[in-house]
Amino acid sequence: MTVGKAQPRPFVSPAAIRISGLLALVALWEGGAQLAADSFVLAGPGDIATHLFAERGLILRALVVTGWAAFLGFVYGNLAAVVLAVIALAAPRTERLLGLLALLIFCLPLVATGPILRVLFGTGTGPQITLAALAVYYTTFLALMVGLRAVPGSWSDLERSFGRGRSAELIYIRAAASVPYFVAGLQIAAPAAFLGAMFGEFTGAERGLGVLTIRAIGQLDVTATWAIATVAALVSMLVYGAVGWLGRRIVAAPPELLLNPLGTHVVPKWRAALWRAGFAFAVIILLWWGSMEIFALNRFFAKRPDDIWSFLLTAPDAASHRQALFGALWETFVLMVPGYVTGLALGAGLAVALVLVPALASTVLPVAIALRSVPIVTTAPLLVLALGRGALGTITIVAIMIFFPTLVACLRGLRQTPGQIVDVFDSYASGRVRLLLWARLPAMLPAFFASARMAVPAAVLAATTAEWLATGRGIGSLMALTASTSNYNMLWSAVVVLSALATLAYLAVEQVERQVLRVYASEQIRR
Amino acid sequence: MPARTAPPGQAIRCQHLSKTYRGGSGEVEAVRDVTITFEAGKTTALVGSSGCGKSTVLRLIAGLEEPSRGTVTIGAESPAELRARAGLSMAFQDASLLPWRSVFGNIALGLKLARRSADPDAVHRLIRLVGLDGFEAAQPAELSGGMRQRAAIARCLVSMPELLLLDEPFGAVDELTRQRLNEDLPALWAAQGATALLVTHSISEAVLLSDRVLVFSPRPARIVADIPVVLDGSRNFSWTQTPEFRAEVENVAAALRSGEEPSAIAAQ
Repeated sequence: MTVGKAQPRPFVSPAAIRISGLLALVALWEGGAQLAADSFVLAGPGDIATHLFAERGLILRALVVTGWAAFLGFVYGNLAAVVLAVIALAAPRTERLLGLLALLIFCLPLVATGPILRVLFGTGTGPQITLAALAVYYTTFLALMVGLRAVPGSWSDLERSFGRGRSAELIYIRAAASVPYFVAGLQIAAPAAFLGAMFGEFTGAERGLGVLTIRAIGQLDVTATWAIATVAALVSMLVYGAVGWLGRRIVAAPPELLLNPLGTHVVPKWRAALWRAGFAFAVIILLWWGSMEIFALNRFFAKRPDDIWSFLLTAPDAASHRQALFGALWETFVLMVPGYVTGLALGAGLAVALVLVPALASTVLPVAIALRSVPIVTTAPLLVLALGRGALGTITIVAIMIFFPTLVACLRGLRQTPGQIVDVFDSYASGRVRLLLWARLPAMLPAFFASARMAVPAAVLAATTAEWLATGRGIGSLMALTASTSNYNMLWSAVVVLSALATLAYLAVEQVERQVLRVYASEQIRR
Repeated sequence: MPARTAPPGQAIRCQHLSKTYRGGSGEVEAVRDVTITFEAGKTTALVGSSGCGKSTVLRLIAGLEEPSRGTVTIGAESPAELRARAGLSMAFQDASLLPWRSVFGNIALGLKLARRSADPDAVHRLIRLVGLDGFEAAQPAELSGGMRQRAAIARCLVSMPELLLLDEPFGAVDELTRQRLNEDLPALWAAQGATALLVTHSISEAVLLSDRVLVFSPRPARIVADIPVVLDGSRNFSWTQTPEFRAEVENVAAALRSGEEPSAIAAQ
């Protein structure tokens, strides 16, 4: 083994390869659009650029409106996340309950909460800002909790050895340690705020990119739909990149953020678990009912728990209500589950395949990170145009919504294998496949399951959005229809059932994840 | 002790071995022009101040790093060829156990990685040797740092390699266990006929375990002294109580002290 020569410089720089790849993609896109010119499915970059130039004033004004609502929602949502995290840390016994409430609210279907908020706020930017805040607070809350816990026990011991208390520990140690995680959470939250704001605009706003999208879809204006989607996607990627850049100015080496489940990893006995579930249920009902009474919300649209109980269980036509609701839910379920599974399988599968070709992985990861930040509301109309209003469209939208975050999480998870473990395998020349099967794949499992858990609300959002905007079937369509016909009993029933099921599915995946973490990330659990 | 007979160890020849790392903050020269031959079947200790580049020398010999200049030959093979037939095994400063495998599973992994057939008896013997009996089913997270390190040493030994590379393997091990391992392990790798290179910060450990001690200068690592360990009798703990042992230790310590003086290095 004689080495002494300097490594030759690559003939073509990686940046040049990326730019060439991007140009090739644009050329391919334009070529495809030319070929499909009569199909009313695809608009090419040329047409999009022409449209954007012609409508630049309108689109810029709409972008400013949406961007401002997203910004305010981003600020409020993240403030709420900080408050929740501080409470959970100051009173650890409340963490599970707070986490459950936060999760339940995160699982509220935007398709239904949008119209309800519109009735509450009337015209204006209230729903946009609220939905933007709702879209961001949970991920930031989880990221903060991970960060606040990412402190070695010895640091706390050191602080206590100087006779300082919990508040000093929170300020001097935990808050400082959580900053990198908070910044990483903010980066994920930034494009989500844009998604929430656009969703809010779908529900009867007067201005904004969401309004233009709805108008373009209604008029079957393919070029306008693609143009707005392109702007929204580019802005989301830009915002994601900008927050990341700002984060790197604050934190030299941002951590790889894995949104671990909340609370203790000790599984409670079934009696204790039942007691906790019952208590949480009572608190949720009390908060629901109490908030409506305190704010004296009109019972016509602000339904109370007893209204839903009566509508679904005791009213004379309750059976027909249940049939309509659960029939629509089943229609959603049978398309959402294949989309969920496909998205997870393709994301994890591609990540594993890419790890065997490391050069390709380093090129795909930034692209996947960028595409992950594109809001579903921008891609859903395009996919519907391309794939039609059938089952394939919904399954594909759900799968794509889950595919990119899973790919990114799994690629990062595969890289989490400690360098010295890789050295152990290398010292036996054990090869990439053995390293993958025996070390990298098991090390990836925590990231995969975190992604699978976070994908549950994402799948519900994607499926209901597709149903609302395109297919006209399932619970997404039912919620949109009942909102427009002021059938608030059915709308609230759909919200309750869907949120409850999404929360239960999330918690079920979390239970599996805990078992996996117990074996594959035992160090993490013991922290 | 083990049923299978290991092939005899190989001599290692390093010729003008140098390593310079290039990073964002400039170049760091870790190893400079090391030329040395390690005799087959013998144990050599590498000592020097922290961060001097001893571990890098070990990694270069293992082929885990490419040298910036120079060559490494093990017998008639390159490190990559020796690794390809699982002829070497390395214990790292960090135990590097797979957190999802038990102690038994981690030690048995050494056999799997070396493409050897499963040998539960050999695994159990090594578990007993490193004092982990009763912890066969324990996960790494349930062990202390020293216990993890002992499991890593057992994993390294179980495949009976021709070349053993030990990078501060006893750093986290408690003193009593360390003394026992210091007595038992050399006998084991001597019986295997393995060539062993041991990086350690303990001068007495270096003298006790090895046939020869190489003293390295502060970074970049250069050999400033090559001290053969003269042993009359057996290599055990009682020897460490003798004046001869203390003289050997003082000899190495003096070389280490002089190696850290810039004038002494410049004179080399």
